[in-house]
Amino acid sequence: MLQVLQIVRDNPTGSQFLMSSSTIPNLNAFRRGQRGRGRGSGRGVGSSHSGAAGLGHGRHRPHDEIIQNTDNDAATSRLSAVEAGYLEDPFARLLSADEDGPVARRLPLMNRGTYLRTASIDRIVDTFLSSTGHGCRQIISLGAGSDTRYFRLKHKRQNLAIVYHEVDFEANTRRKIGRLRSPPFADKAKTLAGVDMHASDVRLSEDGSTLRSSEYNIHPQDLRRLPRDNADLTGVDKDLPTLIISECCLVYLPPEDADAVLRYFSQLFPSTTPLAIVVYEPIRPHDSFGRTMVRNLMSRGIQLQTLEKYAGLAEQQERLKTYGFRGDDGTGSGAEAVDINFIWQRWTPPEEKERVDGLEWMDELEEFVLLAKHYCICWGWRGYGEGSGWKELPSSSPN
Amino acid sequence: MINVCCRAIAQLRACRPIPEPQVRELCYKAREILIEEGNVVSVHAPVTICGDIHGQFHDLMELFRVGGDVPDTNYLFMGDFVDRGFYSLESFLLLLCLKVRYPDRITLIRGNHESRQITTVYGFYDECIRKYGSANVWRYCCEVFDYLALGALVLGATTDVPPAASDNENTQSTLPPEDEEVESEVLNANGDILSKTLRRRFAGLSMMSHHTNSSRISPAPDVDVPSPPDHPASSLPLQSSPSSQSLFTPPTSTTGAVLCVHGGLSPLIETVDKIRLIDRKQEVPHEGAMCDLLWSDPDEIEGWGLSPRGAGFLFGADIVRHFNHNNDLSLVARAHQLVMEGYKEMFDKTIVTVWSAPNYCYRCGNVAAILELGEDGSNGGCIARANGDQGRREPVGTDGSEGGSGVLWNLASPGRRYRVFEAAPQGTRGMPAKKPVGEYFL
Ligand SMILES: [Mn+2]
Repeated sequence: MLQVLQIVRDNPTGSQFLMSSSTIPNLNAFRRGQRGRGRGSGRGVGSSHSGAAGLGHGRHRPHDEIIQNTDNDAATSRLSAVEAGYLEDPFARLLSADEDGPVARRLPLMNRGTYLRTASIDRIVDTFLSSTGHGCRQIISLGAGSDTRYFRLKHKRQNLAIVYHEVDFEANTRRKIGRLRSPPFADKAKTLAGVDMHASDVRLSEDGSTLRSSEYNIHPQDLRRLPRDNADLTGVDKDLPTLIISECCLVYLPPEDADAVLRYFSQLFPSTTPLAIVVYEPIRPHDSFGRTMVRNLMSRGIQLQTLEKYAGLAEQQERLKTYGFRGDDGTGSGAEAVDINFIWQRWTPPEEKERVDGLEWMDELEEFVLLAKHYCICWGWRGYGEGSGWKELPSSSPN
Repeated sequence: MINVCCRAIAQLRACRPIPEPQVRELCYKAREILIEEGNVVSVHAPVTICGDIHGQFHDLMELFRVGGDVPDTNYLFMGDFVDRGFYSLESFLLLLCLKVRYPDRITLIRGNHESRQITTVYGFYDECIRKYGSANVWRYCCEVFDYLALGALVLGATTDVPPAASDNENTQSTLPPEDEEVESEVLNANGDILSKTLRRRFAGLSMMSHHTNSSRISPAPDVDVPSPPDHPASSLPLQSSPSSQSLFTPPTSTTGAVLCVHGGLSPLIETVDKIRLIDRKQEVPHEGAMCDLLWSDPDEIEGWGLSPRGAGFLFGADIVRHFNHNNDLSLVARAHQLVMEGYKEMFDKTIVTVWSAPNYCYRCGNVAAILELGEDGSNGGCIARANGDQGRREPVGTDGSEGGSGVLWNLASPGRRYRVFEAAPQGTRGMPAKKPVGEYFL
C-alpha cells in the first residue's frame, strides 16, 4: 500500500508508467472492494468504463479509492452532528451511507468541529449571496461528495435563483445520483426544497454518473484532469457571480494539481465577474499534534498532499492571493484565513455559543482547541465593488 | 483472595480481561476497602502522583516502568482511569486489583469520568458491552466509582527534590553547589535530567535558575525562568521586616500539605474539612461541591468564573493562594486538563496539573508526566501537622501584578521531581485491528 502511494507521490505528472506488476493485485483488491460497496444502477457499465478510461491514471486508484471513501466518513460525521442537534439538515440522513441503520455517534468535540465547519462555510455562502445583488448566482462545489448544501439552500429560500455545480469522482457522483433519485429522497427534496429530481429537465448520463438540469448539475470529473484536459464543466456560466467551495478536497491532490485547479478557475472567469472561493482543510503539520495527524492519516492510507506546501494560515492566504484574489484594489478583492478555533471564538454569536454549549457535556476542551487549530477556513473574493460583505467577516489580519 | 488477586493481576498485566464473576468479586472487595477511606485520604510522602489514564493501558504499563512498580513505589492516581482509550476495562481493573492487594501503597481518587453518565458517552460503557456482552461489568465498576475518595492530602513531603533512584548515579555530578537548593527537576523516561529549577532565596539576593535542556521533550514553558533581579524583590517586605527573615534562617525542610483532587476547587469549599462532610457515595451530581472538585479548572482570571465545560468552575490565582494559605497547604495537585508537556505549574507554583496519558487518544501528540514528592526526614519520621506553624514559608503572589498587596507568606512548596514519558512503543501497544473512525475531519 505505502509502496503504491510512494509511486503516486514520486510521479505526480503521470507522464510515465512506473507501476510494477507486483502492485497490480493491490489495485484489483481495491476495485473489488469498490464494487461491493457501490450503490445505484448502471454500476456494471460504469466500472467497465472506468476500467478502460482508467488505464492511463490507474496508478492513482488505491489512494483515490480511499479519498473517495473519506466522503462516507464526512457524511457520518454530518449525520451525527444533525442527530445531536448541532445542525439542521433534513437531507443528511438520506444521503449518508447508513441511511437505515443507527447513527454512528461521534464524540462531542467532533460534533462541534463538524458544526463549525458547516456553519462557517454557510456563512461564507450567505456573504456571497448577499454581496452579489439579486440576479442569478452560481456555486461550484469541488469534491462535493454527499454534501447537502444545495438542498439546504433551496429549503431555506425556494426562490433563490442559483446554478449549482458539484464536481467529484465518478464513483461518488454515481452513488449520490442514485440516492438523489430514490423515492424517499426525491419526495423530501420536492416537499421541503421544491426541487423535483424527476422533472423533465433533469437528465442523466447513461451510466448514471452525470446529472444535468437548469439549476443543479453533478459532474463526474477527476479534478487532476480538469485543467489538463482543458475540458469545460458543461453548463458553467462564466458571467454569473460565482462561489467555489473546496471542503476537504484540494488538500488530497498533488500540490501541482491543486494549484492548477485554482489557476484554471481563476482564468476561466473574466476579471469583471464577481468570483469568490472558500477552502476548508487541515493545517499546521509541524507541531506534535500535526505530526501525529499526518502519521495517523497516513496509516489509513490518506495523504494530505498539499499540507506541507500550505502549512499555515499565511501560506493559505498567500495561495489565494497568488491565484487571483489579490487584495490590491481596495475592497474589490482580498483573501483571508482563520483557524476553526477562531471561528468558534469570533464567528459564533454568544447566543449560538450558549445553544451549542448546552447540547452536550464537553469534557474535551483542550483537545477541541488543539484539533480546531489544525483546520482552517480561507476565503478570497474579487471583482466586487464597494459595500460587499466580504470585509465584515471577522479575520485576524488588520483592516 | 490474595491468590485470586495475584492471578488476576497477572492476567490484567497481559491486557487480558478477567471473567465476569471475578470482576464482581473484585469490585465487592474493593468497595469494602474504599468505604473505609474518608472523602480525603491522608497519604504520607514519598508518593508518586499521577493524572489521567483514560484507558491507555500500554501507556499505564510505561508509567509503571518509568515510575517503579507497585508496591515498591507508593502511588496516588487522581482519577479518569476510564473512557476514550481502547482499554479502560483492563486499566481500571488492574488499578483496582492493585488497590485490593496493596491498599496502603496505592490511592485512587475519583475523576469526572468515573460516572455513569459520562462513561455512556465516552466509551467505557460500550467497551464493557463489547468485551462481556452485557452491562453487568460496567454496573459493578460504576458501583465502585461511587466509593472512590474525592481527594487526598499528602503529608510529610520535603522541600528537597526526592533522592533519585540508585541507578542514576550520574545525576549526582550535576547537583548544584551546597548553597543552591533544587526546587524541582524534570527527568525523561531514562532518568536523564532535562531541566531543573533552583529555589529562590528570599533572605538573600541570589535568585538563580538553571536549565539544562538536552532532549526532544521540551520543558514546560512555565518552568521558572530567571526573574529580573530587582523585580520581585522590590515587592517583598524583606528589608523592612526583620522578623520575616527569621522564617528562613535556619531553613527547615518542612512544607505544607499537598491537596490532590481531580479537577480543582469549589466556591462552596473554603476548607479541606468541608470536603470531609460531603456524602460522596453517589453518582457525580451535575452541580455542587462534589461536582466542582471533579470538574473545575484553574484559569488566568480573578476569582471565580463559569466553566465552558458546563460543570464546575474556573478559579484564579487569588483563590488558590488564599485556599492554600487558609488550609496550610503548599500546593494543589490536580489532573483533568490535557497539557502538552505532561505537567504545568501555575500561579507561582501554588497549583500543578499532572497529565499521565501520553499521545492522548492516540492523536494529541503530547507527552505525559508523573510527579514525585520526597519524604521529609528532618523530623525523624514525624509528620508535620498540617496546621503546624513552624513550617518554612515563602511569599506567593510576587509576580508584581498587584504591587505586592496580594502577597501571602505560604508554606514552602515541596521539592518536585517530574518524570516525563512518551507513549509506549508501537510494537507493544497492540492497537486493535479495526481502528475507530472519525478521529479527524475528512
Ligand atoms: Mn477529567
